[in-house]
Amino acid sequence: MLLNKRFINLKLAALLAAVFMHGSLSAQQMESAYDLIARMAKASKELSYKGLFTYEYRGQLRSVKVVHLVREGQTYERIVHMDGPEREIVRRGDHLSCMRPADMLLRGSPLRINDSYAHLEDYYDFYIRGNARIAGRKVALVEVLPKDKLRYGYIVAIDKETGLMLQSILLSQSGKPLERFQYVDISFVADIDSFELSSGMADSEDIDVNQSACLENNQTTQPERSEWEPQWLPPGFVLSSYQPAGADGQESWMYTDGLAVFSIFIDSNEQSRQFPPLDAKLGTTVAVLTKANYNDQHYAICVVGEIPRSTANQIASAIRPLATLNKPSEEAQGS
Amino acid sequence: MSDSKERLAESLSALMDGETTEIELHRILKEVGIDQGQITDSKSVRHTWHRYHMVSASMAGEPVSRLDMSASISAAVDAEGAHRIHPLQKFMNSTGRFAIAASVAMVAVLGVQQLNSPDPSSVDAIQFAEMDINGAEQNSGPAIQFPSGFQPSIQARTVSAGGNNKTSQHLVPVVQVRKAANQQFSENELRAYMDDIMLKHSNNAALNSNQGMLPFARVTKSGANSNKE
Repeated sequence: MLLNKRFINLKLAALLAAVFMHGSLSAQQMESAYDLIARMAKASKELSYKGLFTYEYRGQLRSVKVVHLVREGQTYERIVHMDGPEREIVRRGDHLSCMRPADMLLRGSPLRINDSYAHLEDYYDFYIRGNARIAGRKVALVEVLPKDKLRYGYIVAIDKETGLMLQSILLSQSGKPLERFQYVDISFVADIDSFELSSGMADSEDIDVNQSACLENNQTTQPERSEWEPQWLPPGFVLSSYQPAGADGQESWMYTDGLAVFSIFIDSNEQSRQFPPLDAKLGTTVAVLTKANYNDQHYAICVVGEIPRSTANQIASAIRPLATLNKPSEEAQGS
Repeated sequence: MSDSKERLAESLSALMDGETTEIELHRILKEVGIDQGQITDSKSVRHTWHRYHMVSASMAGEPVSRLDMSASISAAVDAEGAHRIHPLQKFMNSTGRFAIAASVAMVAVLGVQQLNSPDPSSVDAIQFAEMDINGAEQNSGPAIQFPSGFQPSIQARTVSAGGNNKTSQHLVPVVQVRKAANQQFSENELRAYMDDIMLKHSNNAALNSNQGMLPFARVTKSGANSNKE
């Protein structure tokens, strides 16, 4: 009888242990899905690698060669389109210390917007979906699903060893794949010959990145005084860069929620004023052009991004000149 | 021994409430078959069954009967020839059951496969080729097609909207004018403008998102090339 009791106790202990272990396991899994994403954000910047990736959209395939080099805290990139019209980009990128809003959001550092903190996990659910093999390397698959209908979802494959994203599939709201980005070959090397970065083409695009948008602390970038302001933004999106109007009369804003990005362009120049309101689409990128009148001047407002068209429309229709917004309140104060 | 009796009693009580599992029911029926005891035998299953019903009936305030009609009922059932199952019918029944079992197995196999198929690594190219982005997300608002002046781009439009493109290997922005405009703009200018804006967006996106090289892949200089022509 005593033996029996002891046995029952043992069984109970085993059961409890199993429950606890299971609990901690699932907690660990949830944590690591998000950790993987945070690690990915770091890896894409800090690693030196060269490889070949494919981009697939509606059955069309495009291949691109890439060299990414980090030297003395500075990133350099060379991107060569391998098929179709020749295109080569040589880019001197960010300092490693440069943190942009998307970096902050993905790495889990909260960003302050209007006295509240933006967290990636408020807008997306993260799930680990097992393992796979891509470009000859072991990867962990993470499914990132939006909690609302304002943005798309993703399936990303993250290299287990380095944390670099080796595959990214954009998912429509109904869960269909819209586009696929995937490495076919990649090598991580500590020292890439500078020769590989030098352009082989006469008319390559040399881009020197503007470092002013780097974040000093946990504050979002404040745009310099603009005459326009979006009255509605999809929740979770923060301003990541602002370009004031130059000689071409074009102002631009870029917003990100850490994963998705969209830009707003406002043009006052002669040419773009003639354009009719329109919808355009290039692959998964949508553009919505609307018109506005302000101070007897015509403006073209264009929202561009990898977001659902309905979201782009909603943003575009909510962009107003600040002056018209302030007017009613001034009148109210006067009376 | 007492343990199994206890368990049997529990099963019996569950059977009264209609809450037995199939295994329990089988065990009860087997037990009934084994002991063959009469209702008068206080140890038999039948006796327990009868007692339970008496208790339950008295608790519910129903008339309690000590009569055991089970023997006469089963005798009457045996006498009824019409309910005897023909051997062929028996066979048919069993094949029918087999068919159902087989189809259940099929469903199970299919079901499992379907559950497994969203495995992202197996998202195949056919799915990409067949899907229709316009079907996936409807354009909001009536979009008017190009006015007659847009002739050259109609080809470009079919290229990216149709999916089966033979003429061009590269994506060209699909542009849909919302209002019939009175043609104050040139189509080339509009196209160049859209290309410029999408290029600026992709360059910015490469910097301000963590999609790495992806934004560079989305945009080609196809528009710039077509302008040169």
